Amino acid sequence: MQAIQFEDFSYHYPKTGTGLDRVSLEIPFGSFTVLTGANGGGKTTLCLAMTGLVPHFFGGSLSGQVLVEGQSTAGRSVAETAGGVGIVMEDYESQLVSLTVFEEIAFALENQGLPAALIQTRVSEALSAVGLDGLEQRELSALSGGQKQRLAVASVIASQPKILVLDEPASALDPEGAEELYALLAKLNREQGITVIVADHDLARALPYADTVIVMEQGRVALQGKPTDVFTKMLTDQVYAAAVPALRQLKGRLEKEHPALSDWLNVDAAASEINALLSPKRRLSLSA
Amino acid sequence: MKNLAPLCNLLLTIMLSVWTVLLWNPLPLAALLALELILIGYAGQAGKLARPVLGLSLVAGFFAVIQLPFDVAIPTAIASGLKMMVMTVAFLLLFATTKLPGLTAALVKQARIPYEYAFLFTSALRFVPDFLAESQAVREAQTCRGYVPSRNPVKRLISYAALVEPMVLRAISRSETMAMSLELRGFGSARRTFSQQIEFHGRDYLVLTLLAAMTAVVVLYR
Repeated sequence: MQAIQFEDFSYHYPKTGTGLDRVSLEIPFGSFTVLTGANGGGKTTLCLAMTGLVPHFFGGSLSGQVLVEGQSTAGRSVAETAGGVGIVMEDYESQLVSLTVFEEIAFALENQGLPAALIQTRVSEALSAVGLDGLEQRELSALSGGQKQRLAVASVIASQPKILVLDEPASALDPEGAEELYALLAKLNREQGITVIVADHDLARALPYADTVIVMEQGRVALQGKPTDVFTKMLTDQVYAAAVPALRQLKGRLEKEHPALSDWLNVDAAASEINALLSPKRRLSLSA
Repeated sequence: MKNLAPLCNLLLTIMLSVWTVLLWNPLPLAALLALELILIGYAGQAGKLARPVLGLSLVAGFFAVIQLPFDVAIPTAIASGLKMMVMTVAFLLLFATTKLPGLTAALVKQARIPYEYAFLFTSALRFVPDFLAESQAVREAQTCRGYVPSRNPVKRLISYAALVEPMVLRAISRSETMAMSLELRGFGSARRTFSQQIEFHGRDYLVLTLLAAMTAVVVLYR
């Protein structure tokens, strides 16, 4: 069984008509998947389809099906699907509905009918997981953008979903905040086994953590697979090629002459390999 | 008041308002105001509420004075100002000493008000700071585009459309996200619990008894 499975899924919004076009993909449990593609390519719709909000909240027409933990989203309410898959939306500030940090995290747990003592434990655990310990009584208006983003994640993981979906989570964060957020997601993925799916344009940021990349184009899955393979395809087929991280673009050029380069998951790995490729004379002149 | 059950605080606020409606003599009204000020001090909220109470007293004073040219007797004008002040301070005191989730839980579980209505109230308060920040951002954005509010009140009112329009559109978009968030988090579930402690204790029953006795006194001797 896959965490999420799209089976020839097509969807059209009631007013605009655009949406998803015959999407078929599988996202295994425990994976870290990055969704990318130009604006309007269908990333957000894909994320919403994983939670059941598409089609339950928006209406519209569909064919095929989306399975979350083996169960079709069409046959379950949004709240039921949300028990297994949590989402942090692009406008995460509007997603927060309470006055204080504690109330925000407790909100979904109270709706699930959990007893007060268990809610207290879950809130503490969720805050600890996102590094906001001790801020239970802090008002939301007193939190920074990065803290609100973390709170949105905490309020979702408090319900202990197996799958976490984030729609452009770093769009309103500074580079440092975005880096911290990805480190947090990687930790949740690694330590708690949560399946993470992130929609983002900045692939360089996700590169060290992602094991799968999916490129959306005009509502279709244009490419999917391991990051290295997908980046190569993006460059050769010119599919959203501008989004390929600069390091990967450089690697693509070098590979024409040196085809046995490693994966270059970070700048240090790239630097050491480039250094090794340079002639001793050139290396000396650069270091001088 | 911080140690009282939320519903007890709400009843105290309501009864203060009821007494204020029944009384027309400035002296007992002034006594009620004094009682509220003592409660503010006792609850440790003097620093927080000093400015709003001072502002309110100016408004109440203006409200009393403005009635005098219309042949309203001085005691009646003073009583009107005091009534306004006592009622408003009662609610300030309630919100300063009672946590809103507790109040929501009390309204739903003890006063049997549907949760959706109680939630509407707290969520409206949640978005006040966001709304203020957004109005500031829209004003700055429109100022960059040449928006200058006129000194003429009518023209000024018309020009506000440039601010209101983007804010309304943003509010609609925000409300859609919020609706999705509520749906995802099981809002409206019949099995909802509350993590706040709202049960009545001995001190709450004592306050309720005092409220009943005070109401009887006000009704008999007003």
